[in-house]
Amino acid sequence: MRSVPTTGTPFSRRRLLSAAVAVGLGAALTACASSGPTEAPAPQVAAMETGPVELTIFWWGGDARAQLTHQVLALYTQKHPNVTFKETWQANAGYIDKLNTNLAANSAADIFQLDDNMLGGVAARNQTLDLSNYVAAKRIDITKLSSSLVDYGKVGGKQAAVPLAENTPGMVFNKTLLTSLGVEQPQIGWTWEHLISWAKDVSAKTNYKTYGTMDPSADYKALWVWLRQQGMDFYNGNKLGFSEADLTRWFQLWKDARDQKAAPPADIIHVANAGDVTKQLVVTGQAATSFMWSNQMPELAKSTKDTLGVVSYPGDPKGQWARAALYFAGNAKTTHPAVVVDVMNFFINDPDAGKILGTERGLPANTDIRTSVQNSLTDPNMKATVDFENQIAPKFGPAPNVPPNGQSSVRTLLITEAEKVQFGQLSPAAAAKEFMEQAALKLTA
Amino acid sequence: MVATDTPATDLRDRRSTRIPAKRRGSGVNTRREMVAGYAFLSPWLIGFMVITAIPMLYSFYLSFTNWDLISNAGQYVGFRNYVRMFTQDPAFWNSVRTTVTYAVVATPLKLAVALGVAMLLSRPRRGVGTARALFYLPSLLGGSVALALVWQALFSRAGAINAFLAWFGITGKPWVNDPQYVMGTIVLLGVWQFGAPMVIFLAGLKQIPRELYEAASVDGAGSWRQFRHITLPSLSPVIFFNLVLETIHSFQIFTSAYVIGGGQGGPVDATKVYTLYLYLTGFGESRIGYASALAWVFLLAVGLLTVVFFRTGRFWVHYSDGDER
Repeated sequence: MRSVPTTGTPFSRRRLLSAAVAVGLGAALTACASSGPTEAPAPQVAAMETGPVELTIFWWGGDARAQLTHQVLALYTQKHPNVTFKETWQANAGYIDKLNTNLAANSAADIFQLDDNMLGGVAARNQTLDLSNYVAAKRIDITKLSSSLVDYGKVGGKQAAVPLAENTPGMVFNKTLLTSLGVEQPQIGWTWEHLISWAKDVSAKTNYKTYGTMDPSADYKALWVWLRQQGMDFYNGNKLGFSEADLTRWFQLWKDARDQKAAPPADIIHVANAGDVTKQLVVTGQAATSFMWSNQMPELAKSTKDTLGVVSYPGDPKGQWARAALYFAGNAKTTHPAVVVDVMNFFINDPDAGKILGTERGLPANTDIRTSVQNSLTDPNMKATVDFENQIAPKFGPAPNVPPNGQSSVRTLLITEAEKVQFGQLSPAAAAKEFMEQAALKLTA
Repeated sequence: MVATDTPATDLRDRRSTRIPAKRRGSGVNTRREMVAGYAFLSPWLIGFMVITAIPMLYSFYLSFTNWDLISNAGQYVGFRNYVRMFTQDPAFWNSVRTTVTYAVVATPLKLAVALGVAMLLSRPRRGVGTARALFYLPSLLGGSVALALVWQALFSRAGAINAFLAWFGITGKPWVNDPQYVMGTIVLLGVWQFGAPMVIFLAGLKQIPRELYEAASVDGAGSWRQFRHITLPSLSPVIFFNLVLETIHSFQIFTSAYVIGGGQGGPVDATKVYTLYLYLTGFGESRIGYASALAWVFLLAVGLLTVVFFRTGRFWVHYSDGDER
């Protein structure tokens, strides 16, 4: 970055500063007064533009998301005819590589979608528009958002992104299969050991055509929940929040599960480890459960004829948290920050936009919109998702910090090391040792 | 081959005799010719400078920095990238191992298949033209993503290959999703695309005089001895050419490893070949400095290997013009 923004003036472009008007400043001053005795400099926010503006916007997702997002953007243009959009979207694979390259080349979109795996890295390089002042000036209204969700968009004290929706870890299971086998359906609060012994039973009953459970030992979010249930966390600042012994126990837990045939062989797990929704074992019929995010259940349901259900991960539900499913972040170098912010606000708080978006990215972040969307839902899978989240919400633990820069590499590393155990190349202890050594390098690099 | 030698000597002769003669004439003509020459060259020259030479030199500089793609310039770190690569980076050695394995297995296999098929197709028979075209077809598809995807589907646990094996009561393996087998599957894809060296072998085979074979068969040499003592030596320049080209080609393997390995070189880094590791380091982790160092080590290694080939080639490559080299 050419100019590292100081807290007071995130946009050093004189053009923008000169455009700042009383509305923004006035609101900012009130916000400042309420923020107590700290010497917060007067937030300076750019004024809304009235001339023609074309914004570029970039996200990843499927066709459904593309359609819904397009409709919301068209609605915005309808209400603000001077603002038009150039939309670019693609599949998840390669998204962050492309975004990083574009950011480095100063050709990135004005608004882009991120998730918590990416936010830490992009924000640490000051490439996201600092939204703190806009939030303070109420240009982004967060009054209807739960505070833990808003905090999950903060990096280094700055509001780096706004949550578009909320989700939580959810274990998706094949209801049809379990009913036909006559076995109990997974419940909130099952222990991990209980899940594995139950899964062993399921595998045997299907004659090992469908295994009882996916082996999520390569899945960072499953490990994360497991750690949180034991009072630990995945990260402690820029370091790992657990020890080699903890990870060894995790790998061993799943090695035992595979040895008992509660979970499928390594090559089948490997296909699912990459994360592609259509290849998850619960929809390919190779396992009765998959470890997902709750909002992915309706999308999973599209790839199977069976009825799916969703429940919390095994263990104490306090390990779960309200997670910002996806964020919108602004490009720090955008020339239209005011419009960028207004579009973000529109996505979160406009009732009509909320109605269009539904629960595709997760539960609406705005609680008012969530209620109205909930009441108008017709898709049984979306209904099941919402019911699950409402059921589990009171039991949530506090939200963790956004994972630090290097998270993507650590996530990939966990897959590699877990697979070494799955394919029998390394013992749980040896893989855990390798993981700890290399993760330390990835997090400092 | 022959062609590379003669024009060079020709040129040297021409320079020594003709240039002084021209100098006596008008210098304007030469200069005008020179300008015209460079003008005609310029599209290529500019392209070469802008797209190849300057970025290459820049990457050489970058390999001594820790540039992360984001900040304007990385810090100069001396040889740290190079030292780390050889002493502290197991992923580097893994990528070297996978790439060398691929090259060592795939190159000779591919050349052997190419030569075998070329010999079958070198005799004039009915339909031989169509057969040649068909055998060449896979190479036209080149390093395409679609092909790798098809390969992945064919060889997956529930794929066509395993279904075929099941007819014979053989239980197939997860060819693409097990680190034990995946490299073999990729090698097979590489070998299958033997069309380019095959065509070159075909051309080479046509050059071998028929009389040699006739004389040999009169002397009572069987087909193996004919192959061993006529075909191989006569073809050795062509084999050499193919070997150098295909080796370099093998080292550059990327697409099939990227697609079949799911973009990350999986399972368990079994398909994380050198170029893929370089790509993931540079554009996945934004460590451009380190990736540049990787690229330069790669260039040097392949260059060195080519030199070794040329040096050892002297002992087994026979040029038919009797050029004692």
